[in-house]
Order: sequence, then C-alpha cells, then structure tokens
Amino acid sequence: MMSVNRLIISKSAQIRQLLCTVRHAGKHVVLQRNIRTHSRSLAYAKDLFLGQVNKAEVFPYPEVGNEEAEEISMLVAPVEKFFSEEVDSAKIDRDAKIPAETLNGLKELGLFGVMVPEEYGGLGLTNTVYARLAEITSLDGSIAVTLAAHQAIGLKGILIAGTEAQKQKYLPKLASGEHIAAFCLTEPGSGSDAASIQTRATLSEDGKHYLISGSKIWISNGDMADVMTVFARTEVEVDGVKKDKITAFIMERAFGGVTSGKPEDKLGIRGSNTCEVSYDNVPVPVENVIGEVGGGFKVAMNILNSGRFSMGSSSAGMIKKLIELTAEYAATRKQFNKSLAEFGMIQEKFALMALNAFVMESMAYLTAGMMDRPGLPDCSLEAAMVKVFSSEGGWICTSEALQVLGGLGYTKNYPYERYVRDCRILPIFEGTNEILRMYIALTGMQYAGKILTGKIKEMKKGNIGVALGMVGRKLRSSVGGSVDLGLMGKDGVVHPSLAESAKKMEQNVSLFGATVESLLYRYGKTIVDEQLILKRVADVLIHLYAMTAVLSRTSRSISIGLRNHDHEVLLANTFCTEAYFKNNYWMTQLQKHSPENNDANIKKIAKEVLDNRGYVCSHPLERTF
Amino acid sequence: MKCARCLLKLQSLRLLGQSARPAAQHGALLQPASSSQPHMLQNTQHQVLRRFHRSPTHDKDRPIPADFFDEDDKKKDKSLVTHDDLFEQVARETKTKATFNKVVEVFIKQDVRRRGHVEFIYAALQKMPEFGVEKDLAVYNKLLDVFPKEVFVPRNFIQTMFNHYPRQQECGVQLLEQMESYGIMPNVETKVLLIQIFGAKGHAVRKYQRMMYWFPRFQNTNPYPIPKYLPEDPVDLAHFSLARIADDRDAKVTVYQLPCTDITESGEEITLPHVVGIQSPSQMELLAKHNPSRPVFVEGPFPLWLRKKCVYYYVLRADPVPPEEKVEEPYDPERSLAYPLQLDLELDRDLGDEESFDVEDLDEGAVFAMCMTSQGDQAVLNQWISGLQQNNPILGRVPTLFRLEQGPRELQGGHQTVSDHRHRPDPETQREEEEVTVEEEPRRSQGMKQ
Repeated sequence: MMSVNRLIISKSAQIRQLLCTVRHAGKHVVLQRNIRTHSRSLAYAKDLFLGQVNKAEVFPYPEVGNEEAEEISMLVAPVEKFFSEEVDSAKIDRDAKIPAETLNGLKELGLFGVMVPEEYGGLGLTNTVYARLAEITSLDGSIAVTLAAHQAIGLKGILIAGTEAQKQKYLPKLASGEHIAAFCLTEPGSGSDAASIQTRATLSEDGKHYLISGSKIWISNGDMADVMTVFARTEVEVDGVKKDKITAFIMERAFGGVTSGKPEDKLGIRGSNTCEVSYDNVPVPVENVIGEVGGGFKVAMNILNSGRFSMGSSSAGMIKKLIELTAEYAATRKQFNKSLAEFGMIQEKFALMALNAFVMESMAYLTAGMMDRPGLPDCSLEAAMVKVFSSEGGWICTSEALQVLGGLGYTKNYPYERYVRDCRILPIFEGTNEILRMYIALTGMQYAGKILTGKIKEMKKGNIGVALGMVGRKLRSSVGGSVDLGLMGKDGVVHPSLAESAKKMEQNVSLFGATVESLLYRYGKTIVDEQLILKRVADVLIHLYAMTAVLSRTSRSISIGLRNHDHEVLLANTFCTEAYFKNNYWMTQLQKHSPENNDANIKKIAKEVLDNRGYVCSHPLERTF
Repeated sequence: MKCARCLLKLQSLRLLGQSARPAAQHGALLQPASSSQPHMLQNTQHQVLRRFHRSPTHDKDRPIPADFFDEDDKKKDKSLVTHDDLFEQVARETKTKATFNKVVEVFIKQDVRRRGHVEFIYAALQKMPEFGVEKDLAVYNKLLDVFPKEVFVPRNFIQTMFNHYPRQQECGVQLLEQMESYGIMPNVETKVLLIQIFGAKGHAVRKYQRMMYWFPRFQNTNPYPIPKYLPEDPVDLAHFSLARIADDRDAKVTVYQLPCTDITESGEEITLPHVVGIQSPSQMELLAKHNPSRPVFVEGPFPLWLRKKCVYYYVLRADPVPPEEKVEEPYDPERSLAYPLQLDLELDRDLGDEESFDVEDLDEGAVFAMCMTSQGDQAVLNQWISGLQQNNPILGRVPTLFRLEQGPRELQGGHQTVSDHRHRPDPETQREEEEVTVEEEPRRSQGMKQ
C-alpha cells in the first residue's frame, strides 16, 4: 500500500512539473484568462426571456486551447487511475468514512486546490478543467462532496473576496490539503433564510477580535475542517441606525472554542462528514473578516452561485460510468433466449441515459466555458439551470440503471443502489431545486420586467399601435409564420444538419418571449407568489438552455469532425424534439384559461390535505349504512 | 269497480283468515316478552301456510290474555283510546326502554288480529320521547312489527296505483317520518318489515327509499362533527369545546385548575371551579407583539352549543390596532439567500387576473386566548390570566380589563329562568359591569354548594 502511495506521490510531482512546462509554453494564454479587465454582464439566459437569442454568447461552443487540452489529459489519467484502483467506494459507504490513505492520495494529486491559483500553491486550473475533474471525482459521491465542500464553497470565500494577506496565509495550506475547509452558513432555523442566522459576532473590547457564538448545522467536513468560512450577525451602523448585518469570517479551529457534534447518519454520500458545529466565544481577529463588515450576504450569494456549475459534469460522469456497467450486463444477460439489449424497454433506458449524459455534459461545459471568459461574467442563472437539470436527470438515470438489473441492482452486491442513494442528495443541496427554480424564473422575470414595463403600460393604457403590433405578431405566429432568430441562414451558427432542431428552438424561444410578456402583463410583480407558474417558466428556460447547449456543441463537433459526431446529431435532434414538445405543453399551460392547466385544483387539493394534516378521503371500505 | 270491490272483499276475508291460527300460536303469544323477533318470523311463516277460514265471531269470544300487564288494576281496556292509558299505566313506575317494549309486546299478544294497531302505533310514537326511546332504531322496528304482515300488500297493479289501505300506509309513513326527524336511519330489518307489510311498492317503502337516498348523503355534511355522546367530565368537555372553537391544531390546551372541593380550617367547604384555557403559538406571537400601552380585555361569557348542551367561554382579546400604529415590515433584500422575495417592478396584477373578490373587511381585534370555567367571576378569570402570564410575559405589563356580562346561571343551579338569562344588561361602563359580577359572586358560590 505504502509503495503504491509513494508511486502516486512521485507521479503527481511529475504531473506538476509537466504542467509547469506546458504553462510556460502558453503563458500568455493563461495570463490573458487571469486578467479581469472589465466587468461584463452576460445575458444569454436573460435575453431568452425577451424572446431573443444572444447567439454571440453561446456560439461557437467554448473550446480549450491545445495546451490546456494537453494539461487536461495529463491530469485526468492519474486521477482516473487513482479512482479505479485506490478508491474502494463500497468500503467508504459501509464505514461512513473516507480512509486517511485515500484522502492523502487525493491531496497528492492536488485535488484539494484545483482552482487555487498557482502562486498560492494550487493547480490554478480553469472552471472547464475543474468540471472535467469533477466528472471523475463524482464516481465516488462521498469524495466528490468532500472535495466540493472544501473548494467549491469552503475556501471560495477567501478566493473571491479575500484580501491578499488572507490569501497568502490560508490558501497554500488549503490547496495542499493540509488544512481542510468548510462552509458554515446553515443554521437550525432554515437554509435560505438569512433572517434565521442567529450566530453572533461581537467586537471585543480591545477591538482586535470578534467573539463568535452560535451553532451551525449540516456542515460538510464540519468534523475535520481546520479553516471555516463562518457567517455571523454583526452590529453595523448604517446611516446612523444600528442594524444587524451578516458578515463572513475566516475561522480556524485552532482559535479555540469550536466543537463539532456527532456526524449525521445519512442516506447517501455516507463517507462525507456532515455534522453540527458550535462556537463558544471563538475569538476571530478582525483581519479575518472576508470582504467588509456587514457584507457577508453578498459573499455568501457569490460563493453559492459560483459553486453549482460542476454538478452537470459530475452527473454526466456518473451516468457515463453507469451506462458502461449496465450495458455490459444487458448484453450478456439472457431472457427467453434473447439478450436484454434486444428488448425495447431496456433499449429505451439506455437511450435515456445517453441523452441525459449528453445534454448535461453539453450544458456543463458550455457554462464552464462562459465562466472562463475574461471579465467577471455572471453565470449564476446558467449554473443554476445546469444544477437543476443534471440533478434531476441524474436521479432518473441512476434509478433506471438500477432497473436494468432488476432485483440484482437492489442488492448491495452491486454499486447501483449506492449510486441511487448518493444521487439523491443532488436535488437537495447547494440550494434545493425548488428554490433554484424560483431563482431562475424570478431573475429572468425581473430582467424582462424592467425592459417591458414601458411597453406593457402603454398596452394597458390602450395604445392602439402597440396592441396592434402584438396582435399582428400573434396572428403571424398562429398562421405558422416562421420565426427567424438568426441561428440558421446567412449568418447562421448552427450546422445545417441541425436545421430542424434549430427551427424548433427558435419557435420555442419566440413563444417563450411572448409568454413571459403576457405573464408580466397579467401578474406584474405579484408573479412572485405564483410558484406553479414560475416553476414552468423555469422548466421552459432550462430546456431552452439545454437545447442551446446541445445545438452549439453538436454544430462544433460536426464542423471540426469529431469522432462519432453523427451520433451527437442523432442525440441532439432527439433531445430537441422532445424538449420542443415539452416546452410547448408547458407554455400552453401558461396561457390564460388553458384547459391543460390544473393549478387551481392542485392548490385546492394541497390546501385540503394540509388543513387536514393528512390524507383526507374516507377509506374505500367504509360504509355509511 | 265491481272487480275492485271483489278484491276488497277477498282482502277482508284474508284478514279474517288470520284469526284462524292454531291455538298453539296463541300459546306462543303468551310467552314472555323477551323474544319478539323470532315471533315475527314465525308469524310470517304461518301466514303463508294459511288455514281454513273460521268464523270471526269465534275470536271475539276469546278471552284477553291472562298476563295483561296491569292486571292488578283490574282495568281491562277495550276501547280504542286506551292505548295512551296503557303507556300511562306503565309510566307510573318507570319510563324505560324495557317497559316500552313490554307494552308493545303486551299489545301484540293481546289480540291476534292486532285490532287497533294503527291507533296503538300513533300513541306509541307520541310516547316515545317520554320513554327516552325516540332515537332507538330497534324500538321503531319493533313498532313496525306491530303491523300485520302481508295483509296490506297490494295484489294487483290497480291496487298499487291507488292508495291501498290508506290509514295503515299513512301510519307507516308517519313512523318513518318520526325516525327521520330524530335522525334515525332505517336499516335492512326496517326494509324487510316494510316490504312484508306494505309490499315492495307501498308508500312506506317509497318513503324508506327516499330516506335511504338522502340520509347517507347528509350524514357527513358537517365538517366539524360533534360526537354523539359528549364527555361528562367538565374538564374534558371544556377541552373538547375549546379545541373546537379554536380550530387550530397547534393550539395547546392547558388546565389551569382542576375542580376540587376543599374544607378550610374554619370548616367551610370551598369548591374550586375548573379553569381550562387554550392558546396557539400564533396567538402567543400576536400577544407578544401587542402594544403594552393598550389594554387587553377579558370578555364573556359567550355561549357555545354542542348538540343540546350549552357551554360558555371567555376570551382574551384586544381592540383592533389603529391604522397609524400598524407597521409593515420593510422588505429586506438581504433576507433570502436564494431568490428575490420581491420583484422591483412597477407592474401590478392585471384586473382580469384578480382572483380575490371584494369582501367587506371588518377590522377586528385579535383574540389571544380562550378559556372555560364553571365560575366566570373576576377572581377565577384572574387565575387564568396569571396562568397565561407564565408563557406570555407581556401580560405582566399590559393592563387587563374585565368586561364580564351576566354569567351562565343555568350551569350552576338551573334555578334561573331562561328568560332571565336572555335579558342581558346593555353594555354599560366597565366599572358597573364589574360590580355586577362581584355582586353575583356570593349567590353563585351558594349555588355551587347546593
């Protein structure tokens, strides 16, 4: 065992050296990426709300340079090898603990500091490469979550909002894995409600320390974290009025007064450590405030919004692995003298898995590529969409993979049940999918509302011109007039093989714009309370973004002649057709007085059940006489 | 017409035929009253096996059964109006289900032709509440059993078309109607009896069918059903009633004092009334937000009817918050870590999508808690308020005023008339009212001692 470890150590050292040489060769490329000259607001998803396709943002599909591609292949191989040979996921799941050797192996590979810049001892890799690595680390849910809690949220605060001194002090040890980070926000009250944060930081009399007291729950890595990003209430004076505001702190366990509770016994990701952490007057030096005092809310938002995008590639990685495993089984297992692979219903499951993996992958790398662009692109909307789509797709696919094996899949002899359990966390953490859907829909509605307010007000006032224009547009689309948003044609960006799909997407986008406009007309700002409507808006948008990603990726693949791009075309067209009809259905439901819309009944059922706090109906065997 | 008359004749002959039962059956009729149901079946069987006609005169000579109930009185009732008396005679002793059944059985045995059964049934229906059997399905079935079987069943379609044996049918319908008004649902036994008596298409059976159509539908219309038998214990009853008024599953019922009787050192007997209160978490929250400079009021008693029982409760409430004091919580954009809780838009909901409708809003003060006690004077209610104070510290700072009206005196002794209770004093100034309640105290405690 030791010798193997040492082998890996030496190997990772080699990797680093290699990376260095590659970097030097393409220095200016990397540098360019790191310089953030101007802030640019990215508006692809938001523009969809206006019925516009901002094609410059998403076409062509983002690429990595040759050097980076080389980097990736060099990084990926040892990590893959490590995961297939060194990681015993079944044991981690059984013992609910990641063994120290495994953790050391991960540290040696540099996986604890993937995105920490090189000058602080990390690998300094881009979001794209991070996503690529997530594909592999996700093969073990516990490790993936441990790593994500460490670097996607745990040390992210220091990375994006920390001062130079803070970075110098903490990042090197965190990047090497010597220290492990945790993100401590959630409190017993509730997860997304900042008002529920009760942990308090009070300035000591000498003004050099904050004394932090309180407790946090469901802290990933809570037991083993040495450095924590802690959010606490502080008294801040705003315009002469004293107010409680949230501030982010870097807290070391070594400061004293930090205790962690018993690890939670979880359904999945059992190897990751989740526990309660409490603070009893922990003295945190004033220089450990992240950002400014009272500015913790923004820090928390930024960390959370930027941490989500990698879930797409993680799920895709997992599904790709599951396809391999189950395909093997389906090909060899015989029923009625036929292999399972010959049965239509089994075939359907594989098609579903392939489609999902393909779409997730496309979305994840499109988003990662956007985030890697210079400037500080705000991709939180896109990242949230990737998270929602891939967490739900992942759940369906793992359960379908298990279904292929039937009873066998249900036993612990196979890894499928573990994948199903591990996958169940995805729709829950880093913002539940429900909350993210609200975020997606409302962010877009706010954006579109700002722009459309004037027009809608004119319409409400009875401006004939505007109203006629709208009627005309509706007539044209109802007659079946084609919508041209520029994806095809002279300045087209989509490959002609995907013309049908591109048309479908254009139609969807234009209908979506009209739908959003009518929703704003009908509900105005009270749309915040229409969750069922917002859910559909979010779903449509997610599917539009997925279509975009798929079209963009496939067009590139065809154009540069990637291997098996014909299969990609097939997948892309299939997905686009499916998404097109789903979107149409959802948008029909969003029309006024739509017979497809059952919302009123759904609300009523829920109300009666909830008022009754239980199932309402009498038992079918009951009698009245 | 002739034909009909013929039929009628036939029918009457059949009636007479009933008297032709073997003597053994008479014997059976004389058996103790305990097993009425088998009798009924027996009778019907015998009716099918009809014997030769005998002269009706023969029966007239038959002596009245020897075990007639009020033999001691030597009062042999033979007239039609005596059925009432039959019940009256029994009632002198006890009016129970057993005695009622006994009377019915006596009647059944008395005369094999059941002469006067219609009058008997009418009389019995009238007497039922007195005997406390007006809600007993078995008794109704027993009464139905008094009707002779098969005699009134129409034999052809013409009879079915017209009102066959109208008096009997009316009587049957009347019986069902009384069941209906007491909310008693007939059962299969009732149905079998009715079909045996009036045939499958008689009015009574129709009435039965209508009842069976509506009764099950109305059975569960009340979303807040009251149990058939209310709890006897006053504390349990208060618990039930308070939970019923509050209609909040989170509300917590607290017993501030259990009823008990104590004897003081001076030998005086003191009865402590029960004090049971209810308060929900949201009410506690409202109370905590209450402006301490404004008083809260203890008001009552208010009546609450549970079936035939009336109980009284008291509320702790405040006046509505004046509009100038209402503070809306300002929107905090840094509240939600996940999504904006409000949109920064100037667009309002379109009129066409306004789903709320105009209701005249009457601003009422919040009710903070409720309680029930057997003795609603200020001292006892003060005990409730101090009990509430443990969980609602704000009550220590808020002035509490008692606005009590004349208490529910029926609860104590029942010596006051209903009209007295109805006559409530007009809302006067507070002090006067308080005085009134204080005045009442001694009287009430006297009532308790009795």
